[in-house]
Amino acid sequence: MNPTMLSITIALLFGIGTFMILRRDMIKVAIGITVLSHATHMLIVTSGAFLGGKVPIITSDHESGSGIIFMDDIAAGVFAPIVPEGTEMIYSDPLVQALTLTAIVISLATTAVLLILAYRVYQEHGTTDLNEIRRLKG
Amino acid sequence: MDPFIAIILAVFLPFILAGILPAVERLVKDKIGWYASGVAFLSLLLVAVAAPEVIRGGAVQSSVQWIPSMGLNLSFYIDGLSIMFGIIVSGIGVIIMSYSNGYMSTKEDLSRYYRQLLLFMGSMLGMVFSANVIQLFIFWELTSITSFMLIGYWRNRSLSVYGATKSLIVTAGGGIFMLTGFLLLNIITGTFDIGTILQDPSIITTIKGHDLFLPALVLILIGAAAKSAQGPFYIWLPNAMEAPTPVSAFLHSATMVKAGIYLIARVHPIFSGTDAWLVLVGGLGIITMVAAGFLAFRQTDIKGLLAYSTISQLGYMMAMYGYTTYQYPGIGVASATFHLLNHATFKACLFLVAGIVAHETATRDIRKMGGLRKELPFTFIIGSIAALSMAGIPPLNGFLSKEMFYESSLEIGQLLGGPFAILIPAAAVLGGVFTFAYSIKFIDGIFLGKRRNDELPKHIHEPSMIMLIPPGFLALLVIIIGLFPSAAVTYMIEPATSGILLEKANVYVSLWHGFNAALVMTIVTFIAGIAIYTRYDAIAAWQDSFNARHTKISINYVYDSIVDGAKGKSSSFAAFMQPGPIKPYLVSLLVLFIVLGTIPLILVGGLMIPPGLAFDINIYELILLCLIVVSAVGAAVMGKYIYAVLAVSAMGYLVSLVFINLKAPDLAMTQILVETLFTIIFLLVIVKVPQTFKEHLTRSVLVKDLLISSAVFVTVLVLLLNAFQGITSPFESISYYFIENSVPLAKGHNMVNVILVDFRGIDTLGEIVVICLAGLGVYNLIKSRSDSK
Repeated sequence: MNPTMLSITIALLFGIGTFMILRRDMIKVAIGITVLSHATHMLIVTSGAFLGGKVPIITSDHESGSGIIFMDDIAAGVFAPIVPEGTEMIYSDPLVQALTLTAIVISLATTAVLLILAYRVYQEHGTTDLNEIRRLKG
Repeated sequence: MDPFIAIILAVFLPFILAGILPAVERLVKDKIGWYASGVAFLSLLLVAVAAPEVIRGGAVQSSVQWIPSMGLNLSFYIDGLSIMFGIIVSGIGVIIMSYSNGYMSTKEDLSRYYRQLLLFMGSMLGMVFSANVIQLFIFWELTSITSFMLIGYWRNRSLSVYGATKSLIVTAGGGIFMLTGFLLLNIITGTFDIGTILQDPSIITTIKGHDLFLPALVLILIGAAAKSAQGPFYIWLPNAMEAPTPVSAFLHSATMVKAGIYLIARVHPIFSGTDAWLVLVGGLGIITMVAAGFLAFRQTDIKGLLAYSTISQLGYMMAMYGYTTYQYPGIGVASATFHLLNHATFKACLFLVAGIVAHETATRDIRKMGGLRKELPFTFIIGSIAALSMAGIPPLNGFLSKEMFYESSLEIGQLLGGPFAILIPAAAVLGGVFTFAYSIKFIDGIFLGKRRNDELPKHIHEPSMIMLIPPGFLALLVIIIGLFPSAAVTYMIEPATSGILLEKANVYVSLWHGFNAALVMTIVTFIAGIAIYTRYDAIAAWQDSFNARHTKISINYVYDSIVDGAKGKSSSFAAFMQPGPIKPYLVSLLVLFIVLGTIPLILVGGLMIPPGLAFDINIYELILLCLIVVSAVGAAVMGKYIYAVLAVSAMGYLVSLVFINLKAPDLAMTQILVETLFTIIFLLVIVKVPQTFKEHLTRSVLVKDLLISSAVFVTVLVLLLNAFQGITSPFESISYYFIENSVPLAKGHNMVNVILVDFRGIDTLGEIVVICLAGLGVYNLIKSRSDSK
């Protein structure tokens, strides 16, 4: 997928999410946080996806050297780039996908807590207006 | 028993036995005080067990490893000085806790009271036996904290709270200075261990020649002065009198306030013999002695009078430890140590007597008293013995140490020569005169003469033996030490003095030592004291009128304005930093992000939009991305919750399609499952939360929020575009490892799965824990309903 277009999409989602978490309604803020987390997940996965990369599932028997190959020599001060020239990137980066998978699940947990909190606040105070809640004591 | 083990037990048993005190209280009910005094007696025995070897053989040091990497051990340094303090602390502890059985009403929270007393005693014992300064500091601050809790024992009295806070700010604050001083000492010597420094003369020579000598001395002295209420730091002690009287007797006359004196004695070998020591320690002591003695006159509260007297008496000891010259670095050490012991006996006794008087008459105002000798004959005798000892009347122990004080003052005066030969002895006599006057006032004002008015209860009677025996025992000690000083001197003062001077000391004390200059000074003291006493009320009245006229010439005024000012400043700062609604915080965070994200790019001269961007994309992908944006916009602009929620969950499903496109099938599956669950939860909540609130967007709010959102959009876009141009990483990606080893090590072909359940299995466990906690949190939130509903 074209990285430029993806970047524009992700940035737009960040902008929309930001607008929504600035609202006064707690439910709207929760929706805004969801939008932001979607954007973040896409951003992280995109950073590990390469043009022509394969799904990170090894289908055939393992071929040695099929991964990313590095020619770094830190002692000599030479740092290898992530994708050295002339090296074919065979798989999408599995690590960022594993990280994102964890992040998706965690964001479900936090959003659930946030929503229940909004529900309880509404039960106790009869409003979901953050400014109104601020004025309440106890 | 090995002295080291005995001391460890003596220090830690009070802590442990204080821990089980509530359980014991359930068994013995009101008799819990006897349990506490039993614990104190146990500590006293253990210290006594350790004593003989130290008295015979000098200092003993042993340690248990604590934090070896930092050179810190749990170590105890046992010498004559710490043994003497140990005996005083645990011995007075037994007396105080026995007395409390009569003093404290059974309605009080006895468990808390005795627990804190025991904790204090343990900390104090730990402090005096500590061999390294970090350990000493910890126990030191523990005594400050337990003192804070005991002063504030009556939590609902505002004066108690004020006094407790003041003592904590001053003494614990001073402790911080002391710690800094210790750290400087560590820079000089490279060790935290007191024993190591004391046993190596070359280290002491290094310290005395070092540039950091003076700063270290001043910082440690501030800590000691704050604890022992010397100089300007005296202000906390009079307010600490709000504590129950046994606490005042224990902490604020006999033991805790002597911690500063102990510290001075402990570092005496390290710093003494220098001009700085003489001027700072000796000068501070003399000034405090005279000033506090003078200020005692206007006290109408009997405990307040004793508090000022304590400050003044501590000034004696400070002054004597300060007497030092290059040739004779330890002139006043023996007399100071002796006075320390004597003061602990007579002052604790006086406080206990004051406690009896206040207990029986229900007031502490000396103006309402007088003539109590008829109703309280035993108390009168005991109190008079102690007060006369403080005044320095022979043959009581106060007389002996005051003689020695005069002698050492004369000696240092002559060694220094010039005006000091007159000034120092004169100041000493002046301190003695004030002491004499207020000691007589204590006897005269309470017990002699006639009752000034009849506000006192009709039937005043002697308290029970429980309250009479403890002060009586102390009064007996006052007489015995006075008449037969040799036992106390041989077994306590000489070892303690040897511990300070680091050489075998021979102290010679006797009741009659010929007609010499010191005796003349004593006689002068008595005559001048009687003369001043006749003008006592006039002086007190003058002090009162001076205070009324110059309210700002007072250290308390400075303290109050600093503390009140700090409270005001911090509350206005908090009001500024925490305006309340969440929005300002979010806005400041976002603005920070925008600034931090864009400024570096502008600074390095990078292009905001990199050249040569490719926009080619196939039509399916373009439609997918457009749909995502459309649904996000829909979620933002649609007012009704239900539509917004549906829009955002549509967006979630679309995102899973993006994941498929990005070659991440596991993520796509997870996303679909999570999104389904998420939509269900969201809809459940919305059913319960009807949409009552609708935010009315004013034009200015809308413009401002849109501006911030657009700035975030631009920043993220610029960062991403630049990132996808290929930023080279300085480090090797660790993903390579997983790709290479997925099959050989984990026998799994799906690398994402292998990472989650195998290579990073513990992380996944953490994730599951988060889910569990969130579930518990949700459950508890739903269950926790306020009582009103």
